[in-house]
Amino acid sequence: MTTHRQTQDTSALPAASEKLAGLCSKLDDAITLLADAREFAKPGKLPRVLDTARRVLLQEGGAAEVERRSQVFEEAGVFLGSDWETPQYLVPSLTTHALKSPDPSMVVIEALSELRLLAVAKGEYLHPQISAEQAHHYLTQVMAINLWLLFGAPSEAERETQGRLAQIPRHLFRHLAERIGYEHIIDRLIDEIWRILQQRPIQVEPVKAMITQIAICQANPEIDLGASGQGADRLVSSLYGPTRACREDPGVEAYRERLASMDSAALQGEATGFARAMHDTGLVSPYHPVLLRHLLDYGDHLLAEALGLSATGRDCLLCYRELVSALIRGGVHPATPQAVYGLALLLERGILYQPPVAPAMWRQLGLTLSEWSQARLNLAFGEAISPRARLLEGVLCMLGQPLGVGQGNNPTCQSARALSMWAYNDPDYLLQMVAWAARDDEIIMHFEGQPISSMASSGGVAQALRMDLDPVSLIVVPHLDRIYAEMGRRCIGREGDPHRWVNPEFHGWWSGRGFRINVDVASGQLQELDTFLRHFYASYHPYYNGNQPLIHPQPAGIAVTDSAARFIGWHAITVLRVSLDPSDVMRVYFYNPNNDSGQDWGDGVKVSTAGCGERAGEASLPFEQFASRLYIFHYDPLERGELAQITQAELDRVIGYIHRSWGADRIPPTDLQADAGPTGAP
Amino acid sequence: MKKDPNKGYIALLGWSLNAIEAAENFDRRYVVVAPEWAEEYCQKHDIPYVPWNFERLNDRSLEIAHTLQEMKVDVAIPLFEETVEWAGAINSVLLDNPRLYGQSLLLRDKALMKRRAQLGGIRVGIFEEAHDKEDVVRFLKRVNQTLLKLDGDPNDPIHLKAFDKAGCLGHRVIRTPDEVDTIPDEEFPVLMESHLDGWEFAVEAWIHDGKIAFLNISEYVTLGYSVFVPASPELEQYRPQITAQIEKLIKAFDIEFGLIHPEYFVTSDGEMYFGEVAYRPPGFKVFELLERVYGFNAYQASMLVFDPKSTPEEVAAFFPQEIVDADGFAGCFGVYPRRRVVSKLEIPEEVEDDPYFESHELTPPVEETVTKRTAFGTHWGLVYFKGDEAARMKELLKHMEELDFYV
Repeated sequence: MTTHRQTQDTSALPAASEKLAGLCSKLDDAITLLADAREFAKPGKLPRVLDTARRVLLQEGGAAEVERRSQVFEEAGVFLGSDWETPQYLVPSLTTHALKSPDPSMVVIEALSELRLLAVAKGEYLHPQISAEQAHHYLTQVMAINLWLLFGAPSEAERETQGRLAQIPRHLFRHLAERIGYEHIIDRLIDEIWRILQQRPIQVEPVKAMITQIAICQANPEIDLGASGQGADRLVSSLYGPTRACREDPGVEAYRERLASMDSAALQGEATGFARAMHDTGLVSPYHPVLLRHLLDYGDHLLAEALGLSATGRDCLLCYRELVSALIRGGVHPATPQAVYGLALLLERGILYQPPVAPAMWRQLGLTLSEWSQARLNLAFGEAISPRARLLEGVLCMLGQPLGVGQGNNPTCQSARALSMWAYNDPDYLLQMVAWAARDDEIIMHFEGQPISSMASSGGVAQALRMDLDPVSLIVVPHLDRIYAEMGRRCIGREGDPHRWVNPEFHGWWSGRGFRINVDVASGQLQELDTFLRHFYASYHPYYNGNQPLIHPQPAGIAVTDSAARFIGWHAITVLRVSLDPSDVMRVYFYNPNNDSGQDWGDGVKVSTAGCGERAGEASLPFEQFASRLYIFHYDPLERGELAQITQAELDRVIGYIHRSWGADRIPPTDLQADAGPTGAP
Repeated sequence: MKKDPNKGYIALLGWSLNAIEAAENFDRRYVVVAPEWAEEYCQKHDIPYVPWNFERLNDRSLEIAHTLQEMKVDVAIPLFEETVEWAGAINSVLLDNPRLYGQSLLLRDKALMKRRAQLGGIRVGIFEEAHDKEDVVRFLKRVNQTLLKLDGDPNDPIHLKAFDKAGCLGHRVIRTPDEVDTIPDEEFPVLMESHLDGWEFAVEAWIHDGKIAFLNISEYVTLGYSVFVPASPELEQYRPQITAQIEKLIKAFDIEFGLIHPEYFVTSDGEMYFGEVAYRPPGFKVFELLERVYGFNAYQASMLVFDPKSTPEEVAAFFPQEIVDADGFAGCFGVYPRRRVVSKLEIPEEVEDDPYFESHELTPPVEETVTKRTAFGTHWGLVYFKGDEAARMKELLKHMEELDFYV
């Protein structure tokens, strides 16, 4: 592909290429030193290789030079002893962090790894651990996730932390895109966006940014997308021009003027168009709030139409017309478009019929926010709109999409899970929490009769909370996190796992007081696996519990594993329901506070988020596979029945999954005799 | 590399990864003698190892000599200033030559060393030992009186050095009596020397059978900041005189084998003044610079000349020819932050873009406040250069002093 920019570069080519050649020979020297070094001496030779590679990568055409040397690099031992040594396990989403790092070595080694995989994908480097197809797949994912690097100039923040280093990821990505082809990236990206949107997250900023990248890419005549990018139209239009009157993205003011001169048939058309786009994608265009506010002066019929409501939602709207109007006036603005979607789903859920919810919403509308809350909201979301409206948008979204809560990049899965559970199961309690936190800067919860104040507690699980959260989480999670940590502290000295006592007290009365864990806390070894599983089946599996559907969402703990089935860490989730999927497989449907539930846990265990009967935001696994990653569950001790008489074959299958993954090095010595162990055939 | 049992078996005193790597890739058997903390590492990487803590010599000192003797080790090589007298003690046993221990003590004490040099007919500057601050003030005054300075004239500085530390450690320059107060009491006693205006340079000479096998001149651009090898043609023109000086030194200290690393001044009238001499590898990574231009490994060179089983033919074949075989000039610059508060490492673009620039070993700052540079040689890391012209190298290294690497 010849671009204008490249032809410009050729004029300055002689000097530049001479410099590059000089640097390349220095790079070759450095690699030779590394290659010749004994293993113990390699760490000492590595900095020079990385630093010289960094200088090569800064040059025009440097990425190609490095790519050519990929095999030599790897054989010299550049990746030795690091995660990059096993490219088959690399996770695309981690590349963003590495490429943004202020540490030059981190950026460079990531770039070297990417270029190596490019050589593998191109069939120029036959790699013992990863195939060309795998490498190609990995790279397209990486490109899709980091599309900003391909099209955007370095942001102020990047310049501040990375300086000249910020050029390296850009040179790298331009090279990757030119070698792999833009069309692969765009299609892959579109699939990725749809996959995420199907889970209906509350936070859609990252998705919006990616869609904007595609729109820019499509509009750029220098980028040849070929036949790709067809599926992007719905995405782009849902944000920038979902209806006839805003098709060409005229700007909010112009659109408002157009609305003023429309008759009701035209307004009907607009309302239907917006509603369809919103429910198709879960994304709301800034034009949509303009219409909604305009329609407040017209009939309820058009309002219901613009929200895309079913009979249930429309009933709810008619019952609470005044409240809904107030919510639209207070919380639905072009700067808070997602509030429309939250409101529509809230009405559909019918939760306003629960007596405390409507009055609590009125309280929310008039809530005075503390200075701290206002400052925090302004800091995270900017001052385009008042903090109160921002928080109201957050409340509407959380009540409308309880399973769309994400923990962001924070270790606060417990708090995110609690918020989601309350929004799902106990909405007025959630509203109470929001009021306390936002107005009073204090939440008090009780643990075994003793009050715990979020003000008095010293520190939470998270050392410093980031700003990558939805408005409600942003305000409430710091309090919950401290209370949760304090509850844990009050369990110090008790035998066994503290979740036994903390979970029911923290989440709500409906969390079963009965508790089972299959890991011995002291030794970390597996314990009583058979009875643990039989008991789980007896409590949750409809075939073994008298066909009783799960009544309340229950907290549970899982051992998360990576795509190679290696243990990553313990994680909090909510079991929502257990039932047969469309192809008659018994599945557990659960909520994962992690921002993207679609994960590959290795050994064939792939968490599904759509296509197996999931509702938006649910994740699911076949019962056996789910049981194999479970390590904690709660049950009602009064309903404890007989241990399930599941067949030994089924039990063995589940235990096989455990032993091949997170349980591999947790098998107590006595179990070894009965089992071939983790190295047995899969 | 495959080891040749007919060649010597060598003990390396002190922990240096570069030395170990060189030994691994050389045909002599070797063993590392280092403190206990190195044990795990050596086991992991299959490095031959004997544990020993190099404190002051004491009654147990003979133990390590006997251990090595039982292992049939032929000779011990000191890698650091602190292990020089240990090597002397051990080699006097291994080589059955008690004189070696006395020689090593001479090479460890800067005052004794200067006296010995003086006795050998080598010119040295004015020097004296100081036991407290008053001695320093007196010496400073006396030196400047000798120079016929009047009250109010700026003093000529004097240099203070610890008796027994490597090169630049503890090296201070004192100009006024006020500055004497900044010296901590625990640094005494020290050696004081008059300042010599002139060209300072160092020599690395490998000696075998009492003769010079290879002589390198390292040229300092600014003492404590920058050095390059081989020296510029302007300094190399003194090579015959310098060689003669080294031969005097060999005779005065009765050195049969090993690597010596003396420092000299050439004053404007071409007179050489002896500064000091060390019996160990030089600091400032001169070994690496030598390898860069000459291609031989200087640690292996030391093992070769220490090994009593090496033949003159093997030694002659190992070393290249001075100057002629050098492939350009290699230099390095020791970075010390110029600002009082720094937040990050930022290699100036002009350095990075310079065709002479090779690599650096600087790391991001650990703390933000920079303590005042008190002694020479306490740099934060080195920056390496290589190129074809000595004049350009010198100019470049000098220019580095005006740049900020930490901002």
